Amino acid sequence: MQNNIPTPTHRLDMQTEPCPYPAIKTIEALRELGDDDILEVISDCPQSINNIPLDVEKHGYKLLHIDSSSPSVRYFVKR
Amino acid sequence: MSITHELKRMLTSFWRPTPAVIALGVLSVYYFGITGTYWAVTGEFTRWGGHILEASGVDISDWGYFNIMGMQGTSLTRVDGVMIIGMFGGIIAATLWGNKLKFRLPASRIRIYQALIGGIIAGFGARLGMGCNLASLFTGIPQFSAHAWFFTIAMIVGVYFGVKFTQLKLFRSKVQMQAISCDTPQIVQKDRAKGFFTFGTIVFSLIMLWALYLIFVVGSTKLGVAMLFGSAFGLIIAKAQICFTSAFRDLFITGRSQMSRAIVIAMAVSTIGIFSYILIGVPPKIMWAGPNTIIGGALFGFGIVVAGGCECGWMYRAVEGQTHFWIVGIGNVIGATLLAFVWDDIAPLVATSWPKINLLESFGAYGGLLFNYLLLFLLFLLILKIEKNYSKKLNGANYAK
Repeated sequence: MQNNIPTPTHRLDMQTEPCPYPAIKTIEALRELGDDDILEVISDCPQSINNIPLDVEKHGYKLLHIDSSSPSVRYFVKR
Repeated sequence: MSITHELKRMLTSFWRPTPAVIALGVLSVYYFGITGTYWAVTGEFTRWGGHILEASGVDISDWGYFNIMGMQGTSLTRVDGVMIIGMFGGIIAATLWGNKLKFRLPASRIRIYQALIGGIIAGFGARLGMGCNLASLFTGIPQFSAHAWFFTIAMIVGVYFGVKFTQLKLFRSKVQMQAISCDTPQIVQKDRAKGFFTFGTIVFSLIMLWALYLIFVVGSTKLGVAMLFGSAFGLIIAKAQICFTSAFRDLFITGRSQMSRAIVIAMAVSTIGIFSYILIGVPPKIMWAGPNTIIGGALFGFGIVVAGGCECGWMYRAVEGQTHFWIVGIGNVIGATLLAFVWDDIAPLVATSWPKINLLESFGAYGGLLFNYLLLFLLFLLILKIEKNYSKKLNGANYAK
């Protein structure tokens, strides 16, 4: 399990912020990243499962991995 | 993989939202056909407000709105009441099975104001327009009541202004991205999944037993069936994280149309189902198509975006431990009660003097059916258009870089 998770270079800890703020911030943060950077987004708004993955792809970024086993869902994304 | 393992995986993981919304549409049709009543929650929340007033010594017997809602009985003896208990049962089970229970305090003071004020505006608007998203999208529109169309269109406009308002700097999240290295500690979460899963199974079993007890022992078939349907509604909205607020809000914010498209498809599916029941004599619920639906819809749309969730969405988030949505729920009950307070003064002007328009009567049975589908198709086109405009703007911005 641990092997699937890419090593992030940046983290956006959105815990306690309700949707849609985690998705909005993720898109804003991705704009600042370099090509080799990997961003870990942590959100305890479980509804983010229906917005972060789709919004990331729609804006032309890549979703690498989702860990939704805990109350705080973790997303690993890159440019 | 063993069967129990696979079953457990299904109950632990998220469900896909589009099939879930369509399933909700189908279930709401059968709920209507079997019980003759409608999937809605705000009406019961209004009654809760009424009971709180009664308990604090206020005489509400001459409040017109409470008379329309019917204050007889309690949450345990009313169909809407037990349906909501079933919903909470399904939601609690889904939350525990998925290991999504966590106590979270609001991120900042501004969010508390948003939750309370947004909740009050949404609660007031929903009741002024005679229902929230559920009552319009899963009851009103498939039941050919013109008021639900006015409400829905006004709601989309309200959502648009809500989006503009909440994008002001004041409301933006203050969280900053940090660069991290191998030395940065991992955020470790306590693993309580196993105990929660068992507890979820117990809760779900108890709700099932309660419903079966109502049907087979007490003999209140309608109450028991309502509880079963409620538990299915609750399970589905929580497992698939269905958020009707996000449907139109995020269409404007990030150009995502998945949920709004799913809702239109669900309405198209339930329209034909409801139509078949109406043909064999089940009466639809038709409401006044007055200015109340337009004002109520716009207020509701604005309020749900400010609050971050509507009357159905706050229920599962509150159970998950998001205190933000406890406040939204309280706001909704306050807003609904305020509306009940002013109802007798404004009702003749904005609601009760206006006609109840049944599309099946205005255009004939099949004419009305066709008209409803035409409107659904136009709504679908509108969604595609808004999405397209967003993509165009996005591509333009990328090109300019």
